[in-house]
Amino acid sequence: MNSFSLRSLFAILLLTVALLPNLRSNDLVNTKDALESTLNRLLDILHANHSTAPFSVKKDRIIGILDQQFSFDVIIQRSLGRNWSKLNDSQKNQVYTLITDLILQSYTQELQDGPRPELIFYKPKVITSSKIEIESIVLLAESKINISYRLANIKDRGWQVYDILVEGISMVSNYRKQFDEHFLKKSASDLIDLLKAKLQGA
Amino acid sequence: MKILILSGISFAIIAIGADFSKARAKDFVDLDDLLEMDELFDGDGTEVEEGSAAIADPLKVLNQTIFEFNDAAYKNIFQPFTRQYVRFIPKEGRKGIGNFFNNLEYPARLTGSLLQFRFGRASRETGNFFINTTAGMAGFMNAAQEFEALQPPKEDIGQAFGAWGFKHGFYFVLPFLGPTSLRDFVGRIGGNYVEPISEPSTQVDSSTDRLILTAVETVNDLPDIIDIYNSITRSALDPYTAVRDSYAQLRALQVAE
Repeated sequence: MNSFSLRSLFAILLLTVALLPNLRSNDLVNTKDALESTLNRLLDILHANHSTAPFSVKKDRIIGILDQQFSFDVIIQRSLGRNWSKLNDSQKNQVYTLITDLILQSYTQELQDGPRPELIFYKPKVITSSKIEIESIVLLAESKINISYRLANIKDRGWQVYDILVEGISMVSNYRKQFDEHFLKKSASDLIDLLKAKLQGA
Repeated sequence: MKILILSGISFAIIAIGADFSKARAKDFVDLDDLLEMDELFDGDGTEVEEGSAAIADPLKVLNQTIFEFNDAAYKNIFQPFTRQYVRFIPKEGRKGIGNFFNNLEYPARLTGSLLQFRFGRASRETGNFFINTTAGMAGFMNAAQEFEALQPPKEDIGQAFGAWGFKHGFYFVLPFLGPTSLRDFVGRIGGNYVEPISEPSTQVDSSTDRLILTAVETVNDLPDIIDIYNSITRSALDPYTAVRDSYAQLRALQVAE
Protein backbone atom coordinates (compact mmCIF):
# COMPACT_ATOMS: atom_id res chain seq x y z
CA MET A 1 0.00 0.00 0.00
CA ASN A 2 1.61 3.28 -1.00
CA SER A 3 1.43 6.51 0.93
CA PHE A 4 -1.23 7.94 -1.44
CA SER A 5 -3.78 5.21 -0.71
CA LEU A 6 -2.98 5.45 2.98
CA ARG A 7 -3.69 9.16 2.86
CA SER A 8 -6.98 8.41 1.11
CA LEU A 9 -7.88 5.87 3.75
CA PHE A 10 -6.88 8.37 6.41
CA ALA A 11 -9.11 11.05 4.80
CA ILE A 12 -12.07 8.67 4.46
CA LEU A 13 -11.80 7.60 8.08
CA LEU A 14 -11.55 11.19 9.24
CA LEU A 15 -14.58 12.19 7.16
CA THR A 16 -16.60 9.24 8.43
CA VAL A 17 -15.88 10.12 12.05
CA ALA A 18 -16.58 13.80 11.46
CA LEU A 19 -19.78 13.28 9.48
CA LEU A 20 -21.51 10.70 11.66
CA PRO A 21 -22.84 13.19 14.21
CA ASN A 22 -23.67 15.65 11.40
CA LEU A 23 -25.80 13.08 9.57
CA ARG A 24 -27.81 12.64 12.74
CA SER A 25 -27.89 16.37 13.26
CA ASN A 26 -29.08 16.92 9.66
CA ASP A 27 -31.98 14.53 10.21
CA LEU A 28 -33.09 16.65 13.16
CA VAL A 29 -32.70 19.86 11.16
CA ASN A 30 -34.86 18.30 8.43
CA THR A 31 -37.47 17.41 11.06
CA LYS A 32 -37.43 20.99 12.33
CA ASP A 33 -37.71 22.36 8.77
CA ALA A 34 -40.62 20.01 8.05
CA LEU A 35 -42.44 21.15 11.19
CA GLU A 36 -41.82 24.79 10.32
CA SER A 37 -43.14 24.19 6.81
CA THR A 38 -46.23 22.38 8.16
CA LEU A 39 -47.08 25.26 10.50
CA ASN A 40 -46.49 27.87 7.81
CA ARG A 41 -48.90 25.97 5.56
CA LEU A 42 -51.38 26.04 8.43
CA LEU A 43 -50.97 29.82 8.64
CA ASP A 44 -51.50 30.03 4.87
CA ILE A 45 -54.92 28.45 5.33
CA LEU A 46 -55.83 30.52 8.38
CA HIS A 47 -54.81 33.79 6.75
CA ALA A 48 -56.01 33.14 3.21
CA ASN A 49 -58.74 35.33 1.73
CA HIS A 50 -61.42 32.98 2.96
CA SER A 51 -60.03 33.13 6.53
CA THR A 52 -63.39 34.32 7.83
CA ALA A 53 -64.85 30.93 6.95
CA PRO A 54 -65.94 28.96 10.01
CA PHE A 55 -63.65 26.33 11.52
CA SER A 56 -65.82 23.47 10.23
CA VAL A 57 -65.10 24.54 6.63
CA LYS A 58 -61.33 24.61 7.12
CA LYS A 59 -61.12 21.68 9.51
CA ASP A 60 -60.43 18.92 6.97
CA ARG A 61 -57.66 20.89 5.28
CA ILE A 62 -56.10 21.75 8.66
CA ILE A 63 -56.17 18.14 9.81
CA GLY A 64 -54.79 17.04 6.42
CA ILE A 65 -51.75 19.27 6.94
CA LEU A 66 -51.14 18.63 10.63
CA ASP A 67 -51.73 14.87 10.44
CA GLN A 68 -48.37 14.41 8.73
CA GLN A 69 -46.44 15.48 11.83
CA PHE A 70 -48.93 15.57 14.70
CA SER A 71 -50.05 12.24 16.17
CA PHE A 72 -53.35 13.35 17.66
CA ASP A 73 -54.16 9.78 18.72
CA VAL A 74 -50.98 9.73 20.82
CA ILE A 75 -51.62 13.23 22.22
CA ILE A 76 -55.19 12.34 23.23
CA GLN A 77 -54.44 8.90 24.61
CA ARG A 78 -51.55 10.28 26.68
CA SER A 79 -53.82 13.10 27.87
CA LEU A 80 -56.41 10.64 29.08
CA GLY A 81 -53.79 8.33 30.61
CA ARG A 82 -55.37 5.62 32.73
CA ASN A 83 -58.83 7.07 32.01
CA TRP A 84 -58.57 5.89 28.38
CA SER A 85 -59.43 2.36 29.51
CA LYS A 86 -62.69 3.64 31.05
CA LEU A 87 -64.03 4.41 27.57
CA ASN A 88 -65.62 1.82 25.27
CA ASP A 89 -64.62 1.74 21.59
CA SER A 90 -67.46 3.99 20.47
CA GLN A 91 -66.68 6.51 23.21
CA LYS A 92 -62.98 6.40 22.30
CA ASN A 93 -63.83 7.37 18.72
CA GLN A 94 -66.15 10.16 19.82
CA VAL A 95 -63.69 11.52 22.39
CA TYR A 96 -60.87 11.39 19.85
CA THR A 97 -62.85 13.44 17.31
CA LEU A 98 -64.22 15.92 19.85
CA ILE A 99 -60.90 16.61 21.60
CA THR A 100 -59.07 16.94 18.27
CA ASP A 101 -61.66 19.53 17.22
CA LEU A 102 -61.38 21.37 20.53
CA ILE A 103 -57.58 21.50 20.44
CA LEU A 104 -57.49 22.58 16.80
CA GLN A 105 -60.23 25.15 17.25
CA SER A 106 -58.48 26.77 20.24
CA TYR A 107 -54.99 26.51 18.76
CA THR A 108 -55.96 27.93 15.38
CA GLN A 109 -57.99 30.74 16.93
CA GLU A 110 -54.84 32.01 18.65
CA LEU A 111 -52.97 31.99 15.35
CA GLN A 112 -55.83 33.36 13.29
CA ASP A 113 -56.63 36.51 15.28
CA GLY A 114 -54.95 39.66 13.91
CA PRO A 115 -52.34 39.83 11.17
CA ARG A 116 -50.42 36.71 10.14
CA PRO A 117 -47.88 35.94 12.88
CA GLU A 118 -44.23 35.27 12.21
CA LEU A 119 -42.78 31.92 13.29
CA ILE A 120 -39.22 31.51 14.52
CA PHE A 121 -37.89 27.99 15.10
CA TYR A 122 -34.80 27.00 17.05
CA LYS A 123 -32.43 24.05 16.80
CA PRO A 124 -33.96 20.82 18.19
CA LYS A 125 -32.93 19.72 21.67
CA VAL A 126 -32.48 16.05 22.45
CA ILE A 127 -34.64 14.71 25.31
CA THR A 128 -33.78 11.02 24.92
CA SER A 129 -32.34 8.94 22.08
CA SER A 130 -35.81 8.86 20.48
CA LYS A 131 -37.40 12.10 21.66
CA ILE A 132 -36.61 15.71 20.82
CA GLU A 133 -38.02 19.15 21.61
CA ILE A 134 -38.24 21.97 19.07
CA GLU A 135 -38.71 25.45 20.54
CA SER A 136 -40.38 28.21 18.59
CA ILE A 137 -41.63 31.75 19.04
CA VAL A 138 -44.86 33.02 17.56
CA LEU A 139 -44.60 36.75 16.99
CA LEU A 140 -48.11 38.19 17.16
CA ALA A 141 -49.01 41.83 16.58
CA GLU A 142 -48.87 42.76 20.26
CA SER A 143 -47.08 39.90 21.94
CA LYS A 144 -45.00 36.81 21.48
CA ILE A 145 -45.75 33.25 22.60
CA ASN A 146 -43.16 30.56 23.25
CA ILE A 147 -44.39 27.25 21.86
CA SER A 148 -42.35 24.06 22.05
CA TYR A 149 -43.14 20.82 20.26
CA ARG A 150 -42.08 17.46 21.67
CA LEU A 151 -41.54 14.83 19.02
CA ALA A 152 -40.94 11.09 19.25
CA ASN A 153 -39.38 8.90 16.58
CA ILE A 154 -42.23 6.40 16.20
CA LYS A 155 -41.94 3.19 14.21
CA ASP A 156 -43.69 3.44 10.81
CA ARG A 157 -44.52 7.12 11.45
CA GLY A 158 -41.18 8.91 11.84
CA TRP A 159 -40.86 12.05 13.94
CA GLN A 160 -44.28 12.91 15.35
CA VAL A 161 -45.46 15.62 17.75
CA TYR A 162 -46.75 13.99 20.95
CA ASP A 163 -47.00 17.10 23.17
CA ILE A 164 -47.17 20.87 22.77
CA LEU A 165 -45.87 23.25 25.43
CA VAL A 166 -47.23 26.79 25.49
CA GLU A 167 -45.01 29.06 27.62
CA GLY A 168 -43.54 25.90 29.12
CA ILE A 169 -46.94 24.45 30.06
CA SER A 170 -47.43 20.92 28.72
CA MET A 171 -50.80 20.53 27.03
CA VAL A 172 -50.86 16.77 27.61
CA SER A 173 -50.04 17.14 31.30
CA ASN A 174 -52.60 19.92 31.71
CA TYR A 175 -55.36 17.87 30.07
CA ARG A 176 -54.32 14.81 32.10
CA LYS A 177 -55.02 16.73 35.32
CA GLN A 178 -58.40 17.84 34.01
CA PHE A 179 -59.41 14.32 32.93
CA ASP A 180 -58.25 12.88 36.27
CA GLU A 181 -60.48 15.42 38.06
CA HIS A 182 -63.38 14.66 35.73
CA PHE A 183 -63.27 10.89 36.22
CA LEU A 184 -63.16 11.24 40.01
CA LYS A 185 -66.87 12.06 40.01
CA LYS A 186 -68.17 11.81 36.45
CA SER A 187 -68.45 9.25 33.66
CA ALA A 188 -67.28 8.88 30.07
CA SER A 189 -70.69 9.89 28.71
CA ASP A 190 -70.57 13.04 30.87
CA LEU A 191 -67.23 13.80 29.27
CA ILE A 192 -68.69 13.48 25.77
CA ASP A 193 -71.57 15.82 26.70
CA LEU A 194 -69.09 18.29 28.20
CA LEU A 195 -66.91 18.23 25.08
CA LYS A 196 -69.92 18.77 22.82
CA ALA A 197 -71.11 21.71 24.94
CA LYS A 198 -67.61 23.20 24.99
CA LEU A 199 -67.30 22.96 21.20
CA GLN A 200 -70.68 24.57 20.66
CA GLY A 201 -69.78 27.43 22.99
CA ALA A 202 -66.27 27.92 21.58
CA MET B 1 8.49 3.24 8.67
CA LYS B 2 6.38 5.93 7.01
CA ILE B 3 3.58 3.38 6.60
CA LEU B 4 3.80 2.39 10.23
CA ILE B 5 3.58 6.00 11.38
CA LEU B 6 0.61 6.71 9.10
CA SER B 7 -1.14 3.51 10.25
CA GLY B 8 -0.53 4.50 13.85
CA ILE B 9 -1.98 7.94 13.26
CA SER B 10 -5.02 6.41 11.47
CA PHE B 11 -5.72 4.04 14.35
CA ALA B 12 -5.28 6.87 16.83
CA ILE B 13 -7.82 8.94 14.89
CA ILE B 14 -10.28 6.03 14.74
CA ALA B 15 -9.86 5.51 18.48
CA ILE B 16 -10.26 9.23 19.25
CA GLY B 17 -13.20 9.43 16.84
CA ALA B 18 -14.93 6.49 18.49
CA ASP B 19 -14.31 8.00 21.87
CA PHE B 20 -15.56 11.35 20.61
CA SER B 21 -18.75 9.75 19.27
CA LYS B 22 -19.22 7.91 22.55
CA ALA B 23 -18.68 11.08 24.55
CA ARG B 24 -21.19 12.95 22.48
CA ALA B 25 -23.67 10.12 22.09
CA LYS B 26 -25.95 11.55 24.74
CA ASP B 27 -26.17 14.76 22.72
CA PHE B 28 -27.64 12.98 19.73
CA VAL B 29 -30.67 10.92 19.02
CA ASP B 30 -30.28 7.35 17.87
CA LEU B 31 -32.11 7.16 14.56
CA ASP B 32 -32.37 3.40 14.91
CA ASP B 33 -34.10 3.73 18.29
CA LEU B 34 -37.66 3.80 16.98
CA LEU B 35 -40.43 3.82 19.55
CA GLU B 36 -43.21 1.29 19.31
CA MET B 37 -46.61 2.91 19.85
CA ASP B 38 -47.00 1.01 23.12
CA GLU B 39 -43.86 2.64 24.48
CA LEU B 40 -45.62 6.01 24.40
CA PHE B 41 -48.17 4.70 26.87
CA ASP B 42 -46.13 3.21 29.69
CA GLY B 43 -47.88 0.66 31.84
CA ASP B 44 -51.40 1.54 32.82
CA GLY B 45 -51.10 5.21 31.95
CA THR B 46 -50.34 6.28 35.50
CA GLU B 47 -46.80 7.37 34.66
CA VAL B 48 -45.90 10.93 35.56
CA GLU B 49 -46.24 12.99 32.42
CA GLU B 50 -43.19 15.03 31.41
CA GLY B 51 -43.72 18.55 32.73
CA SER B 52 -46.14 17.38 35.39
CA ALA B 53 -46.11 19.42 38.59
CA ALA B 54 -47.95 18.74 41.81
CA ILE B 55 -49.62 21.25 44.12
CA ALA B 56 -51.82 20.42 47.12
CA ASP B 57 -55.28 21.95 47.13
CA PRO B 58 -56.91 21.44 50.55
CA LEU B 59 -58.95 24.67 50.19
CA LYS B 60 -60.45 23.55 46.89
CA VAL B 61 -64.06 24.42 47.68
CA LEU B 62 -63.18 27.95 48.80
CA ASN B 63 -60.70 28.34 45.94
CA GLN B 64 -63.30 27.31 43.37
CA THR B 65 -65.73 29.91 44.74
CA ILE B 66 -63.12 32.66 44.49
CA PHE B 67 -62.12 31.37 41.04
CA GLU B 68 -65.71 31.66 39.83
CA PHE B 69 -65.94 35.16 41.32
CA ASN B 70 -62.72 36.15 39.53
CA ASP B 71 -63.93 34.55 36.30
CA ALA B 72 -67.11 36.63 36.40
CA ALA B 73 -65.12 39.77 37.24
CA TYR B 74 -62.64 39.15 34.38
CA LYS B 75 -65.38 38.50 31.82
CA ASN B 76 -67.90 41.15 32.88
CA ILE B 77 -65.74 43.99 34.18
CA PHE B 78 -62.05 43.68 33.35
CA GLN B 79 -62.32 42.36 29.80
CA PRO B 80 -64.67 45.10 28.53
CA PHE B 81 -62.57 47.68 30.37
CA THR B 82 -59.37 46.26 28.89
CA ARG B 83 -60.79 46.48 25.36
CA GLN B 84 -61.36 50.20 25.84
CA TYR B 85 -57.95 50.68 27.47
CA VAL B 86 -56.20 48.99 24.53
CA ARG B 87 -58.27 51.08 22.13
CA PHE B 88 -57.31 54.41 23.67
CA ILE B 89 -53.75 53.82 24.89
CA PRO B 90 -51.46 53.00 21.95
CA LYS B 91 -49.30 49.90 22.03
CA GLU B 92 -46.08 51.90 22.48
CA GLY B 93 -47.59 53.80 25.42
CA ARG B 94 -48.65 50.56 27.15
CA LYS B 95 -45.24 49.08 26.48
CA GLY B 96 -43.51 52.13 28.00
CA ILE B 97 -45.67 52.00 31.14
CA GLY B 98 -45.02 48.26 31.44
CA ASN B 99 -41.25 48.84 31.06
CA PHE B 100 -41.32 51.52 33.77
CA PHE B 101 -42.99 49.29 36.37
CA ASN B 102 -40.92 46.28 35.33
CA ASN B 103 -37.79 48.33 35.97
CA LEU B 104 -39.07 49.25 39.45
CA GLU B 105 -39.36 45.54 40.26
CA TYR B 106 -35.58 45.21 39.97
CA PRO B 107 -35.02 44.99 43.76
CA ALA B 108 -37.29 41.91 44.04
CA ARG B 109 -35.59 40.21 41.08
CA LEU B 110 -32.16 41.08 42.49
CA THR B 111 -33.14 39.69 45.91
CA GLY B 112 -34.47 36.52 44.25
CA SER B 113 -31.14 36.03 42.45
CA LEU B 114 -29.01 36.81 45.52
CA LEU B 115 -31.02 34.46 47.74
CA GLN B 116 -30.16 31.68 45.26
CA PHE B 117 -26.49 32.77 45.22
CA ARG B 118 -26.84 33.45 41.52
CA PHE B 119 -24.43 36.35 41.48
CA GLY B 120 -24.02 36.29 37.70
CA ARG B 121 -27.78 36.79 37.24
CA ALA B 122 -27.75 39.48 39.96
CA SER B 123 -25.06 41.42 38.12
CA ARG B 124 -26.91 41.03 34.80
CA GLU B 125 -30.09 42.32 36.47
CA THR B 126 -28.11 45.27 37.86
CA GLY B 127 -26.67 46.05 34.43
CA ASN B 128 -30.16 45.84 32.94
CA PHE B 129 -31.54 48.19 35.62
CA PHE B 130 -28.66 50.66 35.22
CA ILE B 131 -29.03 50.92 31.44
CA ASN B 132 -32.83 51.12 31.49
CA THR B 133 -32.85 53.75 34.25
CA THR B 134 -30.29 55.96 32.48
CA ALA B 135 -30.37 55.41 28.69
CA GLY B 136 -33.93 54.09 28.94
CA MET B 137 -35.23 57.32 30.53
CA ALA B 138 -36.24 56.11 33.99
CA GLY B 139 -37.14 52.71 32.57
CA PHE B 140 -39.81 53.78 30.09
CA MET B 141 -37.64 52.47 27.27
CA ASN B 142 -36.15 48.99 27.38
CA ALA B 143 -32.71 50.16 26.25
CA ALA B 144 -31.07 47.04 27.72
CA GLN B 145 -32.92 44.76 25.31
CA GLU B 146 -30.14 45.42 22.79
CA PHE B 147 -27.76 43.48 25.03
CA GLU B 148 -28.45 39.77 25.16
CA ALA B 149 -26.10 39.34 28.12
CA LEU B 150 -28.33 41.65 30.18
CA GLN B 151 -31.47 39.50 29.85
CA PRO B 152 -31.34 37.04 32.77
CA PRO B 153 -34.35 34.83 33.54
CA LYS B 154 -36.69 36.68 35.91
CA GLU B 155 -36.24 35.64 39.53
CA ASP B 156 -38.43 36.36 42.53
CA ILE B 157 -38.34 35.50 46.20
CA GLY B 158 -40.90 32.68 45.90
CA GLN B 159 -38.65 31.08 43.27
CA ALA B 160 -35.69 31.40 45.65
CA PHE B 161 -37.70 29.54 48.32
CA GLY B 162 -38.46 26.88 45.71
CA ALA B 163 -34.77 26.61 44.81
CA TRP B 164 -34.01 26.13 48.53
CA GLY B 165 -36.28 23.08 48.43
CA PHE B 166 -39.49 24.51 49.89
CA LYS B 167 -42.62 23.04 48.30
CA HIS B 168 -45.72 25.11 47.59
CA GLY B 169 -47.40 24.29 50.88
CA PHE B 170 -50.85 24.61 49.41
CA TYR B 171 -52.59 26.33 46.54
CA PHE B 172 -54.96 29.22 46.99
CA VAL B 173 -56.76 31.74 44.82
CA LEU B 174 -56.73 35.42 45.71
CA PRO B 175 -59.74 37.60 44.87
CA PHE B 176 -58.95 39.54 41.66
CA LEU B 177 -55.24 38.60 41.75
CA GLY B 178 -55.69 34.90 40.93
CA PRO B 179 -53.57 31.85 41.72
CA THR B 180 -50.74 31.62 44.23
CA SER B 181 -49.43 29.26 46.89
CA LEU B 182 -48.38 29.65 50.50
CA ARG B 183 -44.71 29.67 49.49
CA ASP B 184 -45.20 32.16 46.66
CA PHE B 185 -47.48 34.39 48.73
CA VAL B 186 -44.82 34.67 51.44
CA GLY B 187 -42.35 35.46 48.65
CA ARG B 188 -44.70 38.13 47.35
CA ILE B 189 -44.86 39.77 50.80
CA GLY B 190 -41.04 39.62 50.89
CA GLY B 191 -41.00 41.36 47.52
CA ASN B 192 -43.15 44.16 48.94
CA TYR B 193 -40.42 44.82 51.50
CA VAL B 194 -37.83 45.57 48.84
CA GLU B 195 -39.90 47.23 46.12
CA PRO B 196 -40.12 51.04 46.05
CA ILE B 197 -43.89 51.55 45.67
CA SER B 198 -45.47 48.98 47.97
CA GLU B 199 -45.59 49.20 51.76
CA PRO B 200 -43.70 48.93 54.08
CA SER B 201 -40.52 50.13 52.31
CA THR B 202 -42.27 52.57 50.03
CA GLN B 203 -40.40 55.54 48.59
CA VAL B 204 -43.69 57.25 47.69
CA ASP B 205 -44.87 59.36 50.62
CA SER B 206 -48.46 60.02 49.61
CA SER B 207 -50.85 57.09 49.98
CA THR B 208 -52.97 58.55 47.15
CA ASP B 209 -49.95 58.56 44.83
CA ARG B 210 -49.18 54.98 45.82
CA LEU B 211 -52.75 53.96 45.06
CA ILE B 212 -52.67 55.68 41.67
CA LEU B 213 -49.35 54.06 40.75
CA THR B 214 -50.57 50.62 41.79
CA ALA B 215 -53.82 51.12 39.84
CA VAL B 216 -51.96 52.24 36.70
CA GLU B 217 -49.64 49.23 36.91
CA THR B 218 -52.55 46.81 37.41
CA VAL B 219 -54.63 48.29 34.60
CA ASN B 220 -51.65 48.24 32.24
CA ASP B 221 -50.95 44.58 33.04
CA LEU B 222 -54.58 43.55 32.57
CA PRO B 223 -54.61 43.01 28.78
CA ASP B 224 -51.78 40.46 29.04
CA ILE B 225 -53.34 38.77 32.09
CA ILE B 226 -56.71 38.49 30.34
CA ASP B 227 -55.04 37.11 27.19
CA ILE B 228 -53.21 34.42 29.19
CA TYR B 229 -56.35 33.59 31.16
CA ASN B 230 -58.44 33.27 28.00
CA SER B 231 -55.76 31.23 26.30
CA ILE B 232 -55.69 28.71 29.17
CA THR B 233 -59.43 28.49 29.73
CA ARG B 234 -60.59 28.59 26.08
CA SER B 235 -59.77 24.95 25.40
CA ALA B 236 -60.17 23.76 29.00
CA LEU B 237 -62.79 21.23 30.05
CA ASP B 238 -62.28 22.21 33.66
CA PRO B 239 -60.97 25.80 33.74
CA TYR B 240 -60.25 25.73 37.50
CA THR B 241 -58.00 22.65 37.21
CA ALA B 242 -56.43 23.95 33.99
CA VAL B 243 -55.40 27.23 35.66
CA ARG B 244 -54.17 25.48 38.83
CA ASP B 245 -52.04 23.03 36.84
CA SER B 246 -50.74 25.80 34.56
CA TYR B 247 -49.67 27.75 37.64
CA ALA B 248 -47.93 24.70 39.15
CA GLN B 249 -46.15 23.84 35.88
CA LEU B 250 -45.05 27.42 35.28
CA ARG B 251 -43.65 27.88 38.78
CA ALA B 252 -41.88 24.51 38.63
CA LEU B 253 -40.26 25.60 35.38
CA GLN B 254 -39.22 28.98 36.81
CA VAL B 255 -37.71 27.34 39.89
CA ALA B 256 -35.82 24.82 37.74
CA GLU B 257 -34.45 27.49 35.37
